[in-house]
Formats: sequence, C-alpha cells, structure tokens
Amino acid sequence: MKLFIRYLNLMVVTIFILLLFSFILPFLFPGDLLTNISGISPQSNEQRIALEQVYKLDQSIFHQFAFYIESLLDGNWGVSTSDQSNLLHELLLAFPATLELVAYALLIAVVIGIPVGFLSGLKNHNPLDFSVVTFSIVGYSFPVVWLALIFITIFCLQFQWLPISGRIDLLFDVPTETGFILIDIARSGISNKADAYLDALHHLILPTASVAIVTTALFIRFTRRSIMDVMEKDYIIAAKSRGFTQRQIFFKHGLKNALLPILPLLVLQISTLITNVMIIETIFSWPGIGRWLIQAIYQQDYPAIRIGMLVVSLCVMALTITIEFITRAMNPARERAESATV
Amino acid sequence: MQRFNLYQEEYHPSPLINIWLEFRRSHIALAGFVLLVVFLVITLLAPLIAPFDPYLQNTNAILLPPAWEPNGTVAHLLGTDSLGRDIFSRLVYGCRTTFGSSLLIVAISVFIGVGLGALAGVLSGLRSSVVNHLLDSIMSIPTLLIAIVMVAILGTGLGNAMMAITLALIPQFVHQTRTFVRNELQKDYVLLDRLDGASSVRIFIHSILPGMVELIVVQATIALSIAIIDISALGFLNLAAQDPLIELGLSLSQGLEVAYVAPWLIILPGLCIFLMVLSVNVVGEGLRSALRTRLHH
Repeated sequence: MKLFIRYLNLMVVTIFILLLFSFILPFLFPGDLLTNISGISPQSNEQRIALEQVYKLDQSIFHQFAFYIESLLDGNWGVSTSDQSNLLHELLLAFPATLELVAYALLIAVVIGIPVGFLSGLKNHNPLDFSVVTFSIVGYSFPVVWLALIFITIFCLQFQWLPISGRIDLLFDVPTETGFILIDIARSGISNKADAYLDALHHLILPTASVAIVTTALFIRFTRRSIMDVMEKDYIIAAKSRGFTQRQIFFKHGLKNALLPILPLLVLQISTLITNVMIIETIFSWPGIGRWLIQAIYQQDYPAIRIGMLVVSLCVMALTITIEFITRAMNPARERAESATV
Repeated sequence: MQRFNLYQEEYHPSPLINIWLEFRRSHIALAGFVLLVVFLVITLLAPLIAPFDPYLQNTNAILLPPAWEPNGTVAHLLGTDSLGRDIFSRLVYGCRTTFGSSLLIVAISVFIGVGLGALAGVLSGLRSSVVNHLLDSIMSIPTLLIAIVMVAILGTGLGNAMMAITLALIPQFVHQTRTFVRNELQKDYVLLDRLDGASSVRIFIHSILPGMVELIVVQATIALSIAIIDISALGFLNLAAQDPLIELGLSLSQGLEVAYVAPWLIILPGLCIFLMVLSVNVVGEGLRSALRTRLHH
C-alpha cells in the first residue's frame, strides 16, 4: 500500500512536470507567442486582443497555466498552424496507427525474443547459442533506417512483392473508427473483407519486420544474459543436487527469477522502440504520430509539436511507471539498486 | 616448495592487461576491435585517406557505379553520385562526421552523467529519491521526441541534434554511477577513508572512481552505438546535419532520390553505419565478457 502511494505520487509529479514543460514550450519556440499557443496568426489588432483575452495572455502566468490545464481537460487541444485542423482529432487518427505498429513489433519481440533468449542461455556455448548470439548482435546493430530501405529495395523495387507505403490500398473504403486498421476492417461494412485483410497485412509486413528485428535482438540479449546469471546461482545448484530435472528447475526457479530483473530493462526498450517506429513511419508513409510530428517540424507547426510531445511522453511515462510498480509489487524483497545489469 | 626469487617466477598481470588478455582470446571481438580502430583512423585522418575532394563535382562521371560493376572505373572506387562526386571520399568524410560527433556526444554524457550520478549517490532521503525518479522518467522519453523538441526550439543543425542525444544519453550514466556509488559507500574501505577524514569528493575520486572505470567504459560502448544510430537517423530525417556537411545518415537520404538508378548510393552509406555500430557492439560485448570472466576468478 505504501508502495502504491509512492508510485502514485511519482506518477502525479511526473505528469505535472510534463504538463508544466509543455506549457513552457511555446515561450521557448521561435516566433509569435500567441500563434505558438493558439495556432492562429491574428490578421488584425482587434483579433489579436480578442485572442489574447481568450488565452488569458493579458493575465498572470498562473491564470494562463490554469487555463491551459482546463482546456486540455475539456478536450480543447487547439488547432494546427498549418491547416487549422483540430489537433485532438488528428491525434486520435495518428496515435492508434503508431500504437498498432508498436504493439505488433512488441508482440513479435516478446513471443520470439524471450523464448529464444532462454533457450540459448540455457544451452550456452553450443552452435545454436552461437548462431542466436550472432543474430542478436547483428540485429541490434542494424540502423533501422537502412534496414527499412534495404527491405524496400529488395521486396518492393526488385521483386515488387510488397507495397512501399501506406496502411491499405485506397480502393478499400475502410472508414476510420478505432484507428487500428485490422479492427476497422472487421467493423466496416465492406464486402470483400478477406481481400482487405490480405492487403492490410501486406502493408504491415515490412514496417513491422524492420522494427521487430531490432527489438527482438535486444530482447534475446537481455533474456539470455539474465538466465545465464540465474542458472549459476546457489539455489539452482541446490535444486540440482536435490535431483530436480532441468525442466523442473527452469520452470520453478529459473523463469521467474530471470524475468523479473529484466522487466524494467525491457520496458526501457519501449522508448527505443517508439523512436524506431517513428522513423519507420516516415519511411513507409505510415500515418502515425511519428510522421505527423516530423511533418509538424518541417512546417514549424508548434501547437502540434507541443501536444504531440505531451501525449507521447505521457503515455510512455505512465507505462514505465506502471510496469515498474508491478515489478516492485510482485517482488518486494528486491531493492531498486539490484535491478539487472546489461 | 622453496622460492628464492619471489617476483620473477610468477607473472601478475595488472587488471587492465588481464582484461586485454581475456579480450584477445575471442577472435570475433578482436576483429571488431580492428574495425573500430580503422574507423577511428578514418575519423582522425580523413583528408589524408580520401583520394578526391568530397565536394569536387566531376560532370564527366555522373552516377558511375562501383569499380566491380562493368561500367565502373578504378579511379572512383565506389562510384560517383548524381553530381559526379566521389563516393569513397564522401563516405570517408561522412564516417568522420558521424563517428566523431558520436564520440564527442558520449564523452560529454559520460562526464556529466558520472558527475550527476556521484552526486545522486551521495545524496540521501527525499532529495535523492526526487533526483532518481526524475532521471528514470527522462530516460523513458524517446530520443527522437527530445530531438524534435530541441530542433523546434533551436532550429536544425548537427550541434542541436548532438545536444538532444547527449541529453537522452546522460540518465543511463547517472543511473549506473548512482547505483555503484551507493553500493560502494557501504563497504569498509570507504569507511576507512572516512575515518581518515577524507571528504566525499575525495572518496569518490580516489577510492570509488578507479573501480568504476571499466563499468563506465562498457556502458560507453552501448551509448556510442546508440549515438551513432541516432545521429544518422536524425541526419536521415534532415533534423541534424545540413547539406554542405557530409554525414552518413544525410548521404542516405540524398541517395534515396536516385535509388532507382543507383542503389549503391543507399547501400554503401548504410553499410558504413552498420559496420560502425557492429564493431562498437562487438567490442562492447567482448569487453563485457572479459570483465565478467575476470570478476569470476
């Protein structure tokens, strides 16, 4: 309970700091403060004064902050400088697309990376382990950008098996509801759903693969290291001497003790994963938040950058803190300092 | 057994040599080390290695393929780009920018990170808890996001991108140093120092830091590989190095414009980045296992 309060406190403080930071951002951005906050460049003096009153720029900084929080809670997230579109609406379109890529890549990394890591860690120094380690080192040495470009040259330009960009062929008229393309297809009323699924999956393969390879390689490395460490511990030797089989030892002692310390490490990889996904999005024209933010940079769309940064960092942070709390709660004996080394 | 000469009989390698002996036993790690040295030499001596001026435009030889292709010439070993500039020279200069700036980034973040980490390790109670959790939170913000905000505030440029990546790399050093210092402070040799009247600063520099160097070096190799990947990715997105500067990620995005006719223009710079990161990772992995074996004995 005490732990819960501590982590809740941490969460609240971090959220507050992020909000404060995103509130300060428009003051730091170059250009007109009013435009940076509102996304509207005033055409006349009257409009400027009116806007200043709306955003409380004529009042103290505390009022401005209060107003900022209030409008965030109201869902009034401002408009983009470039095309005056509603930012909340845009984000709701872009964010699930990113989440989709992240989720699939993470799924692949967990489903493949962790078991393979265990396998090669348990049977270390045999040919299988050697090839897994080689794959892992090569895998996480790949610059994602280059990997994606190589994939495009081979599979799209050379053999023309897979599409280069987008999420689904424009011929399929799938309305956006949840933002997750696979769910949207299921919920839409189009007649040829099987074809649409096939097409969407074709679009998914390359972006997911480019991100997943790097993440999987990292996961393999962490798991392998961790299980190798655990298997040398005294309690494992004790269990061995009591006559347990290798399988029993692994499932009873090894698995849990190896997984717990690396959980925070794996969570930290999510931030790398998101960076990679954002880069991949720009390459494959995936309509996610990474592409959106980078477009915003090119167009100097400051309100968009501010909101995008706030949303992404809030999500990552909340996820990190939650998982840290869960790890901690599951294993109260473990001191923080004891978390695994790479 | 009697021994007349105590010292000439046995050879006691110093910890550093010990690590090198252990490191040398793995041929792959050694190969990675050689590759890393090659990149270091390229970084330092780029003008001497490059056969052409990287900005020299040879309009008679535009989009020349590498020498092993039927149309290639030996004069331009790796071909030329769409303006007739020699690729090999450009790659050499590109390696210089990418590798050099990454080294700089890591050096700065080690310096700041270890300092802050020592501070956080010495602090206790509420203050340390605030510092630690805040740093952990920064650590979880994606690098690209920090870079985007940085670029939005300060404008694009290699320097700003480097600053953003440094900011993203610092927390891991802080984290590691803090944990290490925390653990060491409870040991007896530190207590001994303290009884002798050493100040916290002195204890850290003279007693704790020497034992920590290896850990930091290993962590720095990880950071270096991240820095290389990040700086080239930002270069690719046109957020870091700008045009007249030659940088591998930027070359990659420039090669993209003619990827149909000249695929080597995206393959070669990418390969350079890949080899660079691979060599750093292999060396890091070799160092780590060498350290591990030494600590076991």
